[in-house]
Amino acid sequence: NYLFACLAQYFTVTEFQHDAQMDYYGTRLATCSSDRTVKIFDVRNGGQILVADLRGHEGPVWQVAWAHPMFGNILASCSYDRKVIVWKEENGAWDKMYEYTGHESSVNSVCWGPYDFGLILACGSSDGAISLLTFTGDQQWDVKKISNAHTIGCNAVSWAPAVVPGSLIDQPTGQKPNYVKRFVSGGCDNLVKLWKEEEGQWKEDQKLEAHSDWVRDVGWAPSIGLPTSTIASCSQDGRVFIWTCDDPAGNTWSAKLLHKFNDVVWHVSWSITGNILAVSGGDNKVTLWKESMDGQWACISDVSKGQGAVSTITDTQQNEQ
Amino acid sequence: MKLKEVNRTAIQSWSPAEHHPIYLATGTSAQQLDASFSTNASLEFFKLDLADPSLDMKSCGSFSSPHRYHKLVWGPFGIDAQGHPSGVLIAGGENGNVILYDPAKIIAGESDVVIAESDKHTGPVRALDVNPFQTNLVASGGNESEIYIWDMNNFGSPMTPGPKTQPLEDISCVAWNRQVQHILASASPSGRASVWDLRKNDLIIKVSDHSNRMHCSGLAWNPEVATQLVLASEDDRMPVIQMWDLRFATSPLKIFENHTRGVLAIAWSLADPELLLSCGKDSKILCWNPNTAEVLYELPTSSQWCFDIQWCPRNPAVLSAAGFDGHIDIYSIMGGTNQAQSQRHISNSFGNMDPFGTGQTLPPLQLPQASATPATINPLKKPPKWIRRPVGATFAFGGKLVSLENSKPNPQQPQQPTSHIVHISQVVTETAFLKRSDQLQATLSAGSFVDFCQEKIDAAENEFEKIVWSFLKANFDSDIRSRFLELLGYNKEELALKNTVDAATDEAEEGGDQVLNEEPVEEEQEKEIEEGEEKKEEEEKEEEEKKDEEEEKKEEEEEEEEEEEEIPLEEVHTCTFTFTEMISTTNTYVDGLITQALLTGDFEGAVELCLHDNRMADSIILAIAGGAELLEKTQKKYFTKTHSKITKLISAVVMKDWHDILKTCELQNWREALAAVMTYAQPEEFSSLCDLLGDRLEASADTQLQAQACLCYICAGNVEKLVSCWTRAQSGHSPLSLQDLVEKVMVMQRAVEQTQRSGPAAIGVLLAEKMSQYANLLASQGSLSTAITYLPDNTNQVRHRLRCYTIVLNIHSKPFSHYTKTTPLQYSSAAAPPPPPPAEPSSPPHPPGFLSQYTQPILSQPAPPVYPGQPPISHCLSSSPPSHPTFFPTSSSSFPIPPSSAASFQHGGPGSPGSYMPLPPPSGVSGTQLDSDPELIPASQKTGLHGSDHPIFFSVGPQNGWNDPPALSRAPKKKQVPEHYTPPAPITSPIMAPLGADPQALPISSGTPQAMNQAPHGVQAPYSGMHQQQLSPPAMNPAMPKTSVEGAPGAPTGDVIQPLQSIPAEKIMKKPIPDEHLVLKTTFEGLIQKCLAVATDPQTKRKLDDANKRLEALYDKLREQTLSPAIVGGLHNIARTIESRSYTEGLNIHTHIVSSSNFSETSAFMPVLKVVLTQANKLGV
Repeated sequence: NYLFACLAQYFTVTEFQHDAQMDYYGTRLATCSSDRTVKIFDVRNGGQILVADLRGHEGPVWQVAWAHPMFGNILASCSYDRKVIVWKEENGAWDKMYEYTGHESSVNSVCWGPYDFGLILACGSSDGAISLLTFTGDQQWDVKKISNAHTIGCNAVSWAPAVVPGSLIDQPTGQKPNYVKRFVSGGCDNLVKLWKEEEGQWKEDQKLEAHSDWVRDVGWAPSIGLPTSTIASCSQDGRVFIWTCDDPAGNTWSAKLLHKFNDVVWHVSWSITGNILAVSGGDNKVTLWKESMDGQWACISDVSKGQGAVSTITDTQQNEQ
Repeated sequence: MKLKEVNRTAIQSWSPAEHHPIYLATGTSAQQLDASFSTNASLEFFKLDLADPSLDMKSCGSFSSPHRYHKLVWGPFGIDAQGHPSGVLIAGGENGNVILYDPAKIIAGESDVVIAESDKHTGPVRALDVNPFQTNLVASGGNESEIYIWDMNNFGSPMTPGPKTQPLEDISCVAWNRQVQHILASASPSGRASVWDLRKNDLIIKVSDHSNRMHCSGLAWNPEVATQLVLASEDDRMPVIQMWDLRFATSPLKIFENHTRGVLAIAWSLADPELLLSCGKDSKILCWNPNTAEVLYELPTSSQWCFDIQWCPRNPAVLSAAGFDGHIDIYSIMGGTNQAQSQRHISNSFGNMDPFGTGQTLPPLQLPQASATPATINPLKKPPKWIRRPVGATFAFGGKLVSLENSKPNPQQPQQPTSHIVHISQVVTETAFLKRSDQLQATLSAGSFVDFCQEKIDAAENEFEKIVWSFLKANFDSDIRSRFLELLGYNKEELALKNTVDAATDEAEEGGDQVLNEEPVEEEQEKEIEEGEEKKEEEEKEEEEKKDEEEEKKEEEEEEEEEEEEIPLEEVHTCTFTFTEMISTTNTYVDGLITQALLTGDFEGAVELCLHDNRMADSIILAIAGGAELLEKTQKKYFTKTHSKITKLISAVVMKDWHDILKTCELQNWREALAAVMTYAQPEEFSSLCDLLGDRLEASADTQLQAQACLCYICAGNVEKLVSCWTRAQSGHSPLSLQDLVEKVMVMQRAVEQTQRSGPAAIGVLLAEKMSQYANLLASQGSLSTAITYLPDNTNQVRHRLRCYTIVLNIHSKPFSHYTKTTPLQYSSAAAPPPPPPAEPSSPPHPPGFLSQYTQPILSQPAPPVYPGQPPISHCLSSSPPSHPTFFPTSSSSFPIPPSSAASFQHGGPGSPGSYMPLPPPSGVSGTQLDSDPELIPASQKTGLHGSDHPIFFSVGPQNGWNDPPALSRAPKKKQVPEHYTPPAPITSPIMAPLGADPQALPISSGTPQAMNQAPHGVQAPYSGMHQQQLSPPAMNPAMPKTSVEGAPGAPTGDVIQPLQSIPAEKIMKKPIPDEHLVLKTTFEGLIQKCLAVATDPQTKRKLDDANKRLEALYDKLREQTLSPAIVGGLHNIARTIESRSYTEGLNIHTHIVSSSNFSETSAFMPVLKVVLTQANKLGV
């Protein structure tokens, strides 16, 4: 019933790849790797044209994140070098827009908030802190830091979709809805934590305990118009939990074990429609999960590695470009 | 960063990796005394709770012990079984005892915590290690060279690893090999290390640098390389760590020098073999990269010595260090700062360091160092392995999945590059849905609604579904209402037939018997209905002016009324016949009065009298004469007085008050009610009447009736209500049920537009929501271009995104959107049918009204001049994004943004409109494509499109990957310039040609599956795939070179792009030979070919052929990249000699390679190569 037409181009590069993210429209691919670079490829039309090779980090780059295109072409990257760099394309040229050096250790995760909140970036670091960088215009960034959010380190951050508590559908545009900014984080203290902004201050809203080892990734599911909030978390312990909250106040979360894998689970990603979860495990295997009508999660396929190999780029090729 | 601290002078052991939560066991150290000089001993357990930000560790259980300890190790033995849920803690005591404790029992506070105990050792047990493979085995080392291997399943009788080493000496460390389970190492303060093989039960090697300065305090095996171990020396004169490789056991491989005084302990991280901790008498805690002997990190510590250091097995970033200052500190290797304050100085200030009043003061304790300023502490120079994420699959817009693949590096050959790949895949979870969506799309574009409905009727799973589709189909009938009537069970012809028969009988009966039943009346009524209906139709057909219409209606009414008079007449007859005798006197009296009234011209009075006397016929006849007003009044009175079964119907027919009847009729008779409305209702009220009935049905408690409401809405042409009704009836949100709905809605909308039975089909909220859902779903399955056609204008996220996407990809979707902003302009075309589509043979037959008039925004972009008449549908489905001639003007600033979409961006936020500008073309790309594109497509191909009725069925897109025959994966070669290349294969399908601005966008010809191109095609993917299979099973382009199989001898691989298709996972081909080594293959093969060309004798030829085959072994090794650089380098040298035809030199290099390399590595191909070189030399090619 389910199929995975793997178009797949792929890029072979000699350096360890840590993240690859498509932009909002699925036309560009940003990758980051151990060689300290962030590369942007134009993948329209199946092409793979290197459009930018962003250098500025001094350590392996862990993650990249595209901002919503209404702000322009903006990419954030975080690295082991403790820096977060926001890159922006102006007149076809990519440049540093902002560099944040407020962390004391590796910055492991960056995530842009919903565009309704403006240009706001959450960054999770191994120093245990989470920073929130808000663009206030005129090249100014406002920095808020949650210290000791996760002891030994925060591994992942993910924003809640911008929904007004209790409302089912999108607010009519024009008036500014009363959004509550929330995000979720996971860390080396085995905890999943929810954070909420109240009167300009970030506060711990919930502490979700279920994992018995490092939480490697968290993903807040996109809103599909239902009042339920859903979060996926995965851990070193091989477990993936689905956390749901039906209560409009957001106080009662219940956990459901999606699966216990035999290996570390590194990454979870929700489909744009929020109904499929891609789970990436340490065995290089990606599994896709879907919730059935009766609320049970079922694995609908393995996307094994090497599927649909179509064409490759080698390092040399990239250099030529 | 310091995480925790424990105020104990103790030795320590972490709970095993399998154990959750993490505990730290501490045991009173036999070698240190604290200020109390207490010789009491205890085991204590502390829980590592990282959620607690304070520095305290909670004690979770303790046990007072008669022994003090030299060594603690905590093994996972029995952790899975019921026996020891927390494993076993093994302690080495000062009196030669080895004791097994059950930590679970200690934590639970139970008393019988000792599992087993032995005092076989003659002196203190300083060394303990649990075998990592067989966790029941523990090695212990005492003095006098005593080493025992304990089996916890049979604790009483330990083994020895072999005869005792001489001279007898203390054993300070034992360590099991991390790779080979029967290898054990021991070390003694004298500096010697011994390696034991338990299978041989003997010492196999001794490691010593003969300096006599090594005083081994630590011993650790390399977690990854079986033959390597490190030894730490606590001698201040030689404060080093030596790395030994047993393959070169004459001198240390590396020496790590940084400590200034003796090293007291080392710990090798199992989570990252590139991290080795050491602590020394210089108070430093260092973290080394053992492979480079580089110090990666220095922990900010107190100035006190640490005598023990351990990695936490479960939490790789955590380590513990036990210091002589009476503390065990827990650190994170990842840096950062802890906000929590150390309690040390507090206890210090309370002065409880002298609890026994001995008068002795302790040396000042180190406060948490202010010097440990976070800014100065650099994190580990090398990122630890455990934070490097090796995989990650992330969803992207359009159901794409971007996944990373980093194959694990081979520790044996770290210099070999490993592959790091990014995949982009299309995730299609709803194939059935997509297939049906395609069918719907095809229907919508072809306008073949009747067939579509018929198919649905034939395939309907239940009766109701069948009926619904029948009703929908009826919408496309020329005579909609009578078709509806038929469906409701009222066939005109049949009825007409029946009527004539009955009427004949009636007449006969009427003549003889006056007793009438109601049936004929009803029949007559229906007959009349027929007439009325026909008249009405005529009216409609003739499209007479309203006035005329009214007149005619009046006539009609009158006719009806006239005939109607007969009905009451008959009834009255019946009545009067029965009661004649009784009322005869009265009769005469009333007659008189009526006569009077008539004579005076008082019609009203006369009618009143007639009514009063129940002379209905008389009264009505009189009323007619008395004028319209009176007639109406009389009718009303009549209806209030009479209460037969059909009065209501008659009343409604006469009074034209269908609202009333529909409001009050029995819902069980909805069918009749609907039929009546069908027959009588005025066109302008028809819809609302149907709606009314539908509403009532929907509101009823009977679920079956509720469902029937759908039919009313279909008759009414009320899409919105149909949606709401249908949605209510269908529980669940499955894609297919959504598809069910959308099919109906789209068909109905077309019907409504065609017939204009109702006003503009404004999009209601619910429908908009459903359509958004539908579009969202399509988008999520990759059918982006189809998705956008369904999007209502109510701006939402998806629309915004799809719009932008459309702009980016230049899909001319706007004109084909099923929903455009409802403007008078658009629907004004309703009165007069819109102009027919351009008289192009290729144009799909658009139903009237399909093409929205609201196309200005996009039309501002000139259509591609070359193909003015290209069918919009193909336009929509297969636009080729980046290279459309009109799309990327040379200056990106003149880029036309459709006003509507620009507007939708703007209220988004602060960004300037300019910033919404989709990606400007990469420099140089679009331009070249512009120039080259049209020429690439033969003219014949361009026109070919126009002959194709269902073009999409012929397109073989890469999206068919899931059922395509497997093809190859291979790296394009260096010189590939994708955007400039001319497809080698002929274009077999014309579909893409007209807009195939970019040859790469032609999936067939190029065969290169393309992510972006796929998106617009996604919609027809499964469908076309199936057709493809039926039509021509080898769906692969026949022109596609099959010889591109990797490794085929002599295949030209340099400049030609091999068309590739996506393939299923299991069909992975060999890896490509790395580009840089490809020259080897071509050279060697070329040489063999040359030799073959000149060789004459068959034996030589055979040899050469054989060589050609056997060299494949070499190519395989190149592919796997398993050859050492030296060999590869040599091979390149040989290749160069071949180029210059100096084969003797080549043979010399060959000899050199063979002599200097591992035989097993080269034996598969080097001899063959020699044969080839020799032959080449001999033949002089």
